[in-house]
Amino acid sequence: MIKRINFWVIFAFLVPLLVAIPIFTVFLSFFDTTGNYLDLLKDTFLLKYLSNSFLILLGVLSLTFIFGVTSAYFVSFYKFPGVNFFKWALILSFAVPAYIYAYSLVAFFENYGTAFSILTYLFGEGDYNKNIPKFDGLIGSMFSISFSLFGYVYVLTRASFVFQSHNLIEVGKNLGLSSYESFFKIILPSARPAIVVGLSLVAMETLSDFGTVDFFNISTLTTAIYNAWISFDDLTTANQLSFVLLFFILLLFILENLSRKGAKYHQNSKGNKPIPKIQLVGGKSILATCFCSILFFCSFVFPVSQMTYWTIKFPKYFQDINFWSLNMNTLLLVFLSSLFLIIFSFMTNYGNRVSKNKLISYLSTFSVSGYALPGIILAVAFITFISWFSDFLSSIFGFNSFKNVFIGSVVGLVIAYFVRFFSLSYNGIKSGYSKINNSIDENAYLLGYSKLKTFSTIHLPYLKTNILLVGVLIALEIIKELPITLILRPFNFETFATKAYSYAAQDLLEAAAFPSLCLIMWASIFILFISKYILSEK
Amino acid sequence: MKKLIKIIGLTIVGLFSTLLVANSVFANEVNIFSARHYDSDVQLYEKFTAKTGIKVNVVSGKDKALQKRIKEEGKDSKADIYITADAGRLGAFQAEGMFQKGASSAALKKVVPANFRSPYWVGIAKRARIIYYNPKTVNPSWNMSYEDLADPKYKGRVVIRKSSNIYNQSLVASLIKNNGEKKTAAWAKGMVNNFARKPTGNDRAQILAVAAGEADWAVANTYYLALMLSGKKGAEQQAAAKKVMPFFPNQDGRGTHMNISGSGILKHAPNKANAVKLLEFLLTPEAQQHIVNNTFEYPMIPGVEANKLIAQFGLDFKQDLKTKVSNYGKLQAKALKVMNEAGW
Repeated sequence: MIKRINFWVIFAFLVPLLVAIPIFTVFLSFFDTTGNYLDLLKDTFLLKYLSNSFLILLGVLSLTFIFGVTSAYFVSFYKFPGVNFFKWALILSFAVPAYIYAYSLVAFFENYGTAFSILTYLFGEGDYNKNIPKFDGLIGSMFSISFSLFGYVYVLTRASFVFQSHNLIEVGKNLGLSSYESFFKIILPSARPAIVVGLSLVAMETLSDFGTVDFFNISTLTTAIYNAWISFDDLTTANQLSFVLLFFILLLFILENLSRKGAKYHQNSKGNKPIPKIQLVGGKSILATCFCSILFFCSFVFPVSQMTYWTIKFPKYFQDINFWSLNMNTLLLVFLSSLFLIIFSFMTNYGNRVSKNKLISYLSTFSVSGYALPGIILAVAFITFISWFSDFLSSIFGFNSFKNVFIGSVVGLVIAYFVRFFSLSYNGIKSGYSKINNSIDENAYLLGYSKLKTFSTIHLPYLKTNILLVGVLIALEIIKELPITLILRPFNFETFATKAYSYAAQDLLEAAAFPSLCLIMWASIFILFISKYILSEK
Repeated sequence: MKKLIKIIGLTIVGLFSTLLVANSVFANEVNIFSARHYDSDVQLYEKFTAKTGIKVNVVSGKDKALQKRIKEEGKDSKADIYITADAGRLGAFQAEGMFQKGASSAALKKVVPANFRSPYWVGIAKRARIIYYNPKTVNPSWNMSYEDLADPKYKGRVVIRKSSNIYNQSLVASLIKNNGEKKTAAWAKGMVNNFARKPTGNDRAQILAVAAGEADWAVANTYYLALMLSGKKGAEQQAAAKKVMPFFPNQDGRGTHMNISGSGILKHAPNKANAVKLLEFLLTPEAQQHIVNNTFEYPMIPGVEANKLIAQFGLDFKQDLKTKVSNYGKLQAKALKVMNEAGW
């Protein structure tokens, strides 16, 4: 039971409730609909949509696992040429959104594309097209998404490796395990929770991807929901499909939660001396350097070079862009969204902490699944809900319509981002909070501190790093965000993402290069800003 | 804590001021929702503003998403004009009752051919969906048709993009209208048998596949070849485009399949008078010249010359004016079904 109703508790109750609205909207159809899309879908391509989603998911999970874990293993346990560089360079892959990766991939490998130009330049005129590999949309999507997301697995696995108990590995060594054996028998199993968390983040992002599969024209569960809802106005089908999707994701959530609980058993022995890195020599050192170089090249250098090449080759497009307003718009969205997300998740977390109420805690957990709802579906749900709510209030209470305040405005964008990324910031702050012992709060109350004072003088300063980290993660997501911005933006409002998209849509990837490059640049700046916290070995 | 309250306060003030800026009402304006993404369109709107003093505001985006937003905004929608690049989409949106009459003003009726307008929407520019071939390997007879592409003798030599593409849906819709659903279903199966590869990429990728020798025949819209020939895609693609020849099919019968970029005035348009002015402006010789030179579409009105990169293909080909473009929308769902069943 709630012991005392106060400001904080109400807050902790209301914020998650609001965030949960779009998810409720997806589930509860309070609109009359007649479903004919599902019949068509069942006969023709439902199976294909499902199998596409599944194949992409499988491909991406395998690739990100191999990329992320292998690179994390190399940089955590060994010394080889370039290791200190790769350690942070690999996280730059976060800066390249999958859809921009897809633009580069297509442009490079298409008939008479960049690869063809390079070969012509090097070896003179020739019939190279036949020898340049072509990416089918499915494979192209897998690679694009994998290279832009493997960073999740890398960062989390690496952190887990670094904090891994040194003793375990020593014991293994004393038992005569080879490095190969100790990797599979000790290192990998004990990093399992971290790997699972990384993979489930990757899975969620993959299932909700729209920009990449749309560019490659691949139909997935997400595009099926979008089509059912938008092209056929068949909300019932959209809901049923969303249910399948959310079920998929719920499963992942459960998996993630289970492995997090498991993690408690693998207590980090704090204060351990860092694991001494082994110097690799000869072939092994070349192998490690090569692997990391190729990964860094493919995930970051390749898309950035393709975009730079175009920007230089086609300077005309460079002039067409209103650089100043693109910067301002992107940063405005980043600033407002991060600010609100951080403040509100803080208060919700604190409310949760002081109330110790089960209902509120469940509600927050549930609302966090907003992250699982693909951005494009969330945006449509948002528009539908606001429209319904406004009409409802007008018809019952005669309120003025407030649709224009929320649809096609910066306010609406910030709210939609809020719903989408609340999970990210809530959990980010929560992980910091969980490190502050409850007895500290109690001591503060004993000393006569009010809740407000405890919050502002003890919690806030203590969680500074967390705030910074969460703020930057939100910034990264928002800079890269495409579908929500595209649908909900005001008149004459472009961000780097929408500008790049709009050029890509008119088949001018050359012109999309400059806004893409700016997007990657901003994201890289933010990443470098926090890299020292992400990579901290203390 | 005071600091925190101050920050929150300031933010709210900031937010509301952005809100006000975003929603501020310019008395003399016209608002466009556009599924056409051309930058050159924006330049055109700037010309319009310079001429009339009417400010033009644009939101561009994916076709259906824009329609959804317009529908949900209902009578509060600020959108005056909806622009898109397929007649079928215009027809479908009209059927949902989202347009009001008035797009084809008396002035426009005089210049725009009847097939490319209705009381609810008006075409702004035309494009033809044609056949491309490799002159080194094949040579079409003058009366070759879309129907002929399904001939088994072209097995493994034809490329075209996916069935989900709206231009394909409109093309197949016109085939259904002319040949019936049954014959078109058989045609679609024949096409799939002739595919040189699984459909992939956009229209330009189909043309490039012919240039690279992957196929002999491709189906794509006219402006893609011109775009490559213009050099806007670089020297390599310009050279590749020269290896491919355009061919206007069905000259012996109904003529080549035509589609339009078009626009209509929305039911709840707050600035209808300005919207009419803008549409009339878009169909002046000056604006048409700007459009055809930037997007390489065909002009909608007489007296304007297509860009020379397009004109060199020949301008006296027979256009299919018999199949009403307004039919495309009604038959697109059927077209998609026919293609899907054929495994397209």
